[in-house]
Amino acid sequence: MTVTRTLVIQPTRGWRSLNLGEVWEYRDLLLIFAWRDLKVRYRQTLLGAAWVMGQPIVSMLIFTLLFNRIARLESKPGVPYPLFVLSGVILWNFISGAIQRSGNSLLGASHLISKVYFPRLVIPLSNGVTDAVDLVLAAILLIPLMLWYGVMPPLAILMAPFVVLFAGVFAIGAGFWIAALNVEYRDVRILIPWVLQIAMYIAPVVYPLTAVPARWRWAAILNPATGFIEAFRATLFGTPCDWVAVAWSLFAALALFVSGAYFFRRMERLFADEL
Amino acid sequence: MTTVSIQIERVSKRYRIGALRRDYTTLRDRLADLVKRRPRDPEHAEVWALRDVDLELPQGEALGLIGHNGAGKSTLLKILSRITEPTSGRVLLHGRVASLLEVGTGFHPELTGRENIFLNGAILGMSREEIRRNFDAIVAFAEIEKFLDTPVKRFSSGMYVRLAFAVAAHLTPEILLVDEVLAVGDIDFQRRCLGRMNEVARSGRTVIFVSHNLSSIEALCRQTVLMSRGQVALQGPTREVLAGYLSRRGASAVVDLRAFTDRQGEGRARIIGLEILDETGTRSLDALPFGRSFRARIYFSANERLSGAAFGFGLVSNAGERIFITESWELGRTYDLEPGEGSVDCFVEAPNVVPGTYRFELWISDLPGVRATDYLTLIGEIEVTVGEETLASGPAAMVTSLASGVRGFVWVHSSWGGIEPRRYTSAADT
Repeated sequence: MTVTRTLVIQPTRGWRSLNLGEVWEYRDLLLIFAWRDLKVRYRQTLLGAAWVMGQPIVSMLIFTLLFNRIARLESKPGVPYPLFVLSGVILWNFISGAIQRSGNSLLGASHLISKVYFPRLVIPLSNGVTDAVDLVLAAILLIPLMLWYGVMPPLAILMAPFVVLFAGVFAIGAGFWIAALNVEYRDVRILIPWVLQIAMYIAPVVYPLTAVPARWRWAAILNPATGFIEAFRATLFGTPCDWVAVAWSLFAALALFVSGAYFFRRMERLFADEL
Repeated sequence: MTTVSIQIERVSKRYRIGALRRDYTTLRDRLADLVKRRPRDPEHAEVWALRDVDLELPQGEALGLIGHNGAGKSTLLKILSRITEPTSGRVLLHGRVASLLEVGTGFHPELTGRENIFLNGAILGMSREEIRRNFDAIVAFAEIEKFLDTPVKRFSSGMYVRLAFAVAAHLTPEILLVDEVLAVGDIDFQRRCLGRMNEVARSGRTVIFVSHNLSSIEALCRQTVLMSRGQVALQGPTREVLAGYLSRRGASAVVDLRAFTDRQGEGRARIIGLEILDETGTRSLDALPFGRSFRARIYFSANERLSGAAFGFGLVSNAGERIFITESWELGRTYDLEPGEGSVDCFVEAPNVVPGTYRFELWISDLPGVRATDYLTLIGEIEVTVGEETLASGPAAMVTSLASGVRGFVWVHSSWGGIEPRRYTSAADT
């Protein structure tokens, strides 16, 4: 006789286990969702790539003109302002894009959720994978610009993928919270872009952290994006970075990811009925 | 030895319904509630979609699930497929489960046929390896070889559905849950779907099959459960449950048309009722077994004197296609109606209408062959069933195809000869 698995379906209450083993079993689906989104986005190859690469370039030009040329904001020593702001914009876009997309992912997948079972965590996770690919494409922009300015990356650039990984953990962690809240409270999705808009200016995207007066610096450091942007630049340009900010960001990312995943699982049972 | 495959123990499901609920909750309201210490969601109506459902299904059994809309069939299927949790109770599923609540779930219009096979397969729970192994079979089943690399948004709806079903048809779980998905595609494809379902059901897998098409339930499932208001109302051999369901449905035997307004003609006389009876006119029929003679009793009410009037009776499909009609004057029968009520019987002998759900067409002509003074169509509803005699005597293939809803509407008696050594020649050859 073959060994069959027995599945028990019963009501659950309160917190439940993450059941990561099951998420692992569905890794094919996770990748296929990410692949689908990429495929659709880059189907018209030029347009897709132009969007991912064009937007940071335009931001870079505007910010350089506005903050550097007009407002006379300086970058970190040794890094030309355009390069400085582009690196910030690229990582910030990754973080805010992943937060928004994973946060809204359940609403977009409501049709699937009401028709097929799979671990729901797969949905926001697959969005993270998609955004990471976008980030890699956008990061290619840095190469010609660094060559142009003659900025050589330090050996620490090998750490850049880890910075991105943890920035992704942070963004998806926030996405878990938002996605689950979104199902119950529909005004969350209106609130998020607004919060992110503000958060961008509380992070050292267009200015160096050192430009913030010391007694206000804690406010910027409290924003977990700050540590990641600092660390990202440190790996690219070898600039010094604020280790307190980096440590805090790592902690915040892990805390948000774990708590978000549990909260998501707790709310999950409502998804099919509420969406 | 039979092993249990699905155990459903006292499963209930409660839904909050929208009537009294706000459209949706907002975080703002919730925070305001917290500040003002208002209780959360003070008013909402509840409805029990399922109430204490107990069922046990042995491995390899195909179970039909029928019932009116809202009887709880789909909710039960959603619980079994883990889309939603029960409110109380417990389900044990022994084996790998796949559910098919819709064909083409997750299809993306921008992606090609090939890409959608992988996407849809993964969504339905197939591994990449499994999809790759079945890929050629899926493509062949769907007959879309030439369009594999075309985005599905350019597919005709027929191709789309064929592809979607083809993927689903190659799921090989131990337990398969299927919701009303066969009523799609063209006739020929429907037959293949039904054939495929039949294969699945006979290959030792446990299948739960929800359908409104009673004929396909009859063909596929030995056991059937009738759900009503969230509970199991009847359970047993398919034929008995279907008979019970049809007699509960009741309305098909006698159709009251007194208040019916959607009619044509000036109405010098009106049809006020219809009753379907057996051959001898002694018993009302809820359903017509295939090939059985019956009589239709037409009740009318004349407002004035009508001489030389004729009655007409016919069967139409649910879509309004005419299956047959019979009119009294063509058969040499006209009537002189006096003001008041009366009835006329129409005898229909051994109609070879294939099993399915049909509706009626009725009229009274004051100028037979020219004009109807009262004309009604798409009224009532009757199920032509496969019938015990057909099941007992007919070859299995005939029974299956009779039930599949792909036979058109008429069964013809026919037979086939052997191969002869004749050559085709025509006048043009000489």
